[in-house]
Amino acid sequence: MARMEDFLAATGLTKSFDSVQVVDSVSFTVRSQEIFGLLGPNGAGKTTTIRMLSTVLDPDDGDVTIGGHLVAKESDAVRKLIGVCPQELALYPELSAIDNLVFFGRMAGLSGSEAKESAADVLERVGLTDRAKDAVRKYSGGMKRRVNIAIALMSRPQLLFLDEPTVGIDPQSRNHIFDTVLALRDEGMTVLYTTHYMEEADRLCDRIAIMDEGRIIALGTPAELKAQVGDADTTTLEEVFLSLTGRSLRD
Amino acid sequence: MRLVIRQALLLSFKDTRLFFKDRFAMGFALLFPILFIVAFSLALGDLGPEDEQLRMAVATEEESGFSREVIDVLTVSDATGVDEWDPKDAGLALHEGRIPGYLLFPVDFTQRIFSGEGTEILVVTADGDPETEAVLGGLAHSIGGRIGTLSLAARGVTELEGLGSLDLVKLGQLGTAPPSIVFTTEQVGDVEPFNATNFTLPGYLTMFLFFAAALGAEAIARERQTQTLERLLSNGVRRSAIVAGKVLASIYRGLIQLAFLWALGIFAFSIDFGVSPVAVIAVSVLMAVASSAFGVMLASLVRTVKSASSAAVLASLTLAPLGGCWWPLFITPDWMQAIGRLTPHGWANDAFNKLMLFGAEGQDVLVHMAALLLFAAAFLAIAVVRFRTVSAN
Ligand SMILES: Nc1ncnc2c1ncn2[C@@H]1O[C@H](COP(=O)(O)OP(=O)(O)OP(=O)(O)O)[C@@H](O)[C@H]1O
Ligand SMILES: [Mg+2]
Repeated sequence: MARMEDFLAATGLTKSFDSVQVVDSVSFTVRSQEIFGLLGPNGAGKTTTIRMLSTVLDPDDGDVTIGGHLVAKESDAVRKLIGVCPQELALYPELSAIDNLVFFGRMAGLSGSEAKESAADVLERVGLTDRAKDAVRKYSGGMKRRVNIAIALMSRPQLLFLDEPTVGIDPQSRNHIFDTVLALRDEGMTVLYTTHYMEEADRLCDRIAIMDEGRIIALGTPAELKAQVGDADTTTLEEVFLSLTGRSLRD
Repeated sequence: MRLVIRQALLLSFKDTRLFFKDRFAMGFALLFPILFIVAFSLALGDLGPEDEQLRMAVATEEESGFSREVIDVLTVSDATGVDEWDPKDAGLALHEGRIPGYLLFPVDFTQRIFSGEGTEILVVTADGDPETEAVLGGLAHSIGGRIGTLSLAARGVTELEGLGSLDLVKLGQLGTAPPSIVFTTEQVGDVEPFNATNFTLPGYLTMFLFFAAALGAEAIARERQTQTLERLLSNGVRRSAIVAGKVLASIYRGLIQLAFLWALGIFAFSIDFGVSPVAVIAVSVLMAVASSAFGVMLASLVRTVKSASSAAVLASLTLAPLGGCWWPLFITPDWMQAIGRLTPHGWANDAFNKLMLFGAEGQDVLVHMAALLLFAAAFLAIAVVRFRTVSAN
């Protein structure tokens, strides 16, 4: 069912924890070189979905194809194509940015010199070259977030998962991250981006899936989604969510 | 397989770097045990200022028997600083202040050992002379330790040292019940032939080896929470490599602890490794391995960082005394020794005591080593089966 331009196709993804269904028959596709937004309130199941897409968690049901590889069967091939920036700061604060990058790069299979080279590249990209040797612990929140993203770029992935990459940072760092993501897309990367910030999704994403209580309740371009509810020019995504669920997104 | 090994090694090296950057972890693993060892060795008088040539008096009411043998050994040369007195003379001399006190073996000393009811050495001092009481108490303890040796010897486990001329036939009749010795004083003091550190150091080494490794579970739980483990997983790192890397890193830390604490023992406390230093080292390394496997197992059983640390503290502080880290198991009742055998600590300490106090040889502690390996294997198996990389946040 995956079309050629679909880089990722998820079909009927389902996962429960302790008999609570956290992700419920989720299906969607992400096209090559698009920024796909997964939008939803806390606990909607965004992270769980990303975990299943990124080979970390086995779904109870459903399957995922990434770059033509079935995740359940060819997880190693899939892992070579993806980079994941987790929701938490998944790094070692006591180590410097460069040491973090080189470590994760090597764990992803790069040789020592490849890892160093790639680390220099991604540091440049996220604008941290000057502070590369400082312990990450000493960074500002925004800088830490940028390192978190940089690590995901180490193995030059074709598909990048960004799980709420801008939580709790100042507008400047946020803009820096937006610019980075847009640049990556323009260079040919496919991005799956989760957030619960409406404006962010609106501004950044080519297409958006709105997720609530484990289900996708709407999917389309920002303009399409708004048109479902009212006038595409004046409606906000917040209003879309409100009209679909009867409650506000940020509870 | 090569991939897993490479990944595990890279992981373990990174963890070791983090260990050297973590002052608290280092302090806990290295300085804490030193504090305990120094404090308890001091308390047992080992580091205390030498009493200026204090001479000790011993007397026995027995015509023949163990106490005679013991006294013969203690008074074999003038250098031991022990003199034998007739019980009546000793009482008089104490009364007149010519001696500060003496040890008295009662008339039924030997008989009570044989009957298995537990025997007694009396520490007789002038009222309000805790110092002499302590010194003589120490000597009494030392003798108690030697009698412990005898009961072990009777079971053919160790060789007899120092008390060579005992009647082995009689000892054979002791059977398996070790005699328990009651002292009239609880205090212990400085006695040459017994280096308290030979007991305290292995005890606290065992305790803190395990404690530090168990607390390692906390760091693993934290990594699960900060999603570094799942980041590794999505990078293509094998779950088995993560488990192996964590166990390895913990073993390295244990080896650093061991090197540090054994060196301390040798250079600062002149501890005696006995006839088989290799066996002592081997037992301690196996304890490090078992403890490391335990730490990773703990991490795979708990959900949160907090529960990891409470479980680690709880396990460490219960298993240490049960396993003979705080007092020797050989002075405890049989049922406590049996409980001790359910802990890796118990096996490690029993092996250390045999090797370092009772002159056992390497082959005598092979069973102990096997037991430690078995613990390690069991912990590791559970760790591998239950290890989770993802936490519910
Ligand atoms: N490993 C797990 N075990 C048990 N429950 C889990 C686990 N992972 C997630 N959950 C639960 O599943 C639900 C969805 O979690 P998930 O993290 O996927 O949501 P989310 O959309 O990412 O939310 P947020 O915006 O807060 O990150 C939550 O109620 C969460 O508590
Ligand atoms: Mg989430």
